Amino acid sequence: MDNFPYLFAAYAAIWIGLFLYVRRLARRSRELEEEIQDLRRQLGR
Amino acid sequence: MRRLEPLLAPAVFVSMLAALWLIFMVVPTEKEMGIVQRIFYFHVASAWLAYMGFFTVAGASAVYLWKGSAAADRAALAGAEIGVLFCTFVVITGPIWARPIWGVWWTWDPRLTMTLILWAIYAGYLMLRAFGGDDEGVARYAAVLGIVGVLDIPVIRVSVRLLHGIHPNVLNQPKGSGLVDPSMRLALYVASIAMLLLAGWLAMVRMRQERLASEVAALRRQVEGRA
Amino acid sequence: MRAALAILRKDLRIEWRTKESLSSLIVLGVLLLVALTVAYDPTPETAATLAPPVLWATFVFTGLLGIQRGFLVERENDCLAGLLGAPIDPASIFAGKLAANLVLLAAMQAIVVPLVGLFLHVDLGASLGGLVVVLLLGNLGFAALATLFAAIAVRTRAREVLLPVLLLPLLVPLLIGAVKATEHVLASGLAAAGDALGVLAAFDVIFTVAGWLLFTYVVRD
Repeated sequence: MDNFPYLFAAYAAIWIGLFLYVRRLARRSRELEEEIQDLRRQLGR
Repeated sequence: MRRLEPLLAPAVFVSMLAALWLIFMVVPTEKEMGIVQRIFYFHVASAWLAYMGFFTVAGASAVYLWKGSAAADRAALAGAEIGVLFCTFVVITGPIWARPIWGVWWTWDPRLTMTLILWAIYAGYLMLRAFGGDDEGVARYAAVLGIVGVLDIPVIRVSVRLLHGIHPNVLNQPKGSGLVDPSMRLALYVASIAMLLLAGWLAMVRMRQERLASEVAALRRQVEGRA
Repeated sequence: MRAALAILRKDLRIEWRTKESLSSLIVLGVLLLVALTVAYDPTPETAATLAPPVLWATFVFTGLLGIQRGFLVERENDCLAGLLGAPIDPASIFAGKLAANLVLLAAMQAIVVPLVGLFLHVDLGASLGGLVVVLLLGNLGFAALATLFAAIAVRTRAREVLLPVLLLPLLVPLLIGAVKATEHVLASGLAAAGDALGVLAAFDVIFTVAGWLLFTYVVRD
């Protein structure tokens, strides 16, 4: 029962990986959003 | 397929919760390995998903080379990103599992070695796409790599078996051979389904994002052309 | 087929005149070999273990640079554009370049292999026949993939670093097979290397065909 740290580490690794990927997706979405706003402004000109 | 889309997120949520419940509340503690064995379920599920991702890259790449379909190219990219993500899980959880059980972080176990090589191949694919420059040809080059990578799989499998020679390696136990309890098998299947749905969800989001990105890029080129 | 031979002859003739690639390959191979073995004073047993990986590490790194250089030179002079303008099947270009690279590799190995025997006190003459078989099989697979990916790498931004990054993971099974086969050949002879040779042969077939089919997609501009 003293191998809990390893069990935790494995699940933490998966969580961290997923979190980082989702964060990357979110960032990219935000960048796209900003670029669309920018283009809209330019076209409105 | 489109009608099922709104169901995807709840399905991911439910299946993942179900998997976790099975793994931590239902499955008995394995006799020899103890509680660390509970890593096994997501470790194996991730491996299956990684291979699925890589085969997707190869298939989508072939379609892209043959038909020039931009959607296929996006599918290849998503497949590679998600494949490498899940492959990373395998390569990290593997040693974490191995250490308390076998006493070493790493062994050149055929399966782990093969997964590591594939990780490197498709990480290279992502590097090619990221750093290959903006040349339109990069998608084509990546497609070639995507196909070659999968072609390598059978040769890698055979070659890594050469590594251990005649000596039966005590570390070389086939993983998951101790699936004694039926609830363990169920947990593995549910975990795999959960990972599959998760991967599908991520892929959908990523591909949609990529399509939007190319539309935005085309729009930007138009605007700049006008100026 | 004739186009491929023409390209082979062209590349070899260019190389024979300048001897640039060949000389730098050989020098590099020898230097790498020295770097790998200088600190080691092997006994006969350890030498037999050391020789195979040293050999193949040297071949792979030197070969990578040599093959990459071949495409770089072509790109600088826009030769490839000229070649593609001609009514030649790109697959023939692949075959020609592959053949030229094989010759280059063999020439480099002709110098490096005896030197390994010298530096590591290994009698390679006894197993020469088997060694040549392993070299031929290993070279083919290596050159097939390297030719395909050098053509890719030279067209991208991070070219120098990209080729090894892409190629080395793909080559691992070849390396495993080649090192194991060399090990067996040096220890007991060609017969013992059956499994490893099988791996090499499979690798060769798969990637020569793949390179042949996929090269068009790389050079189609």
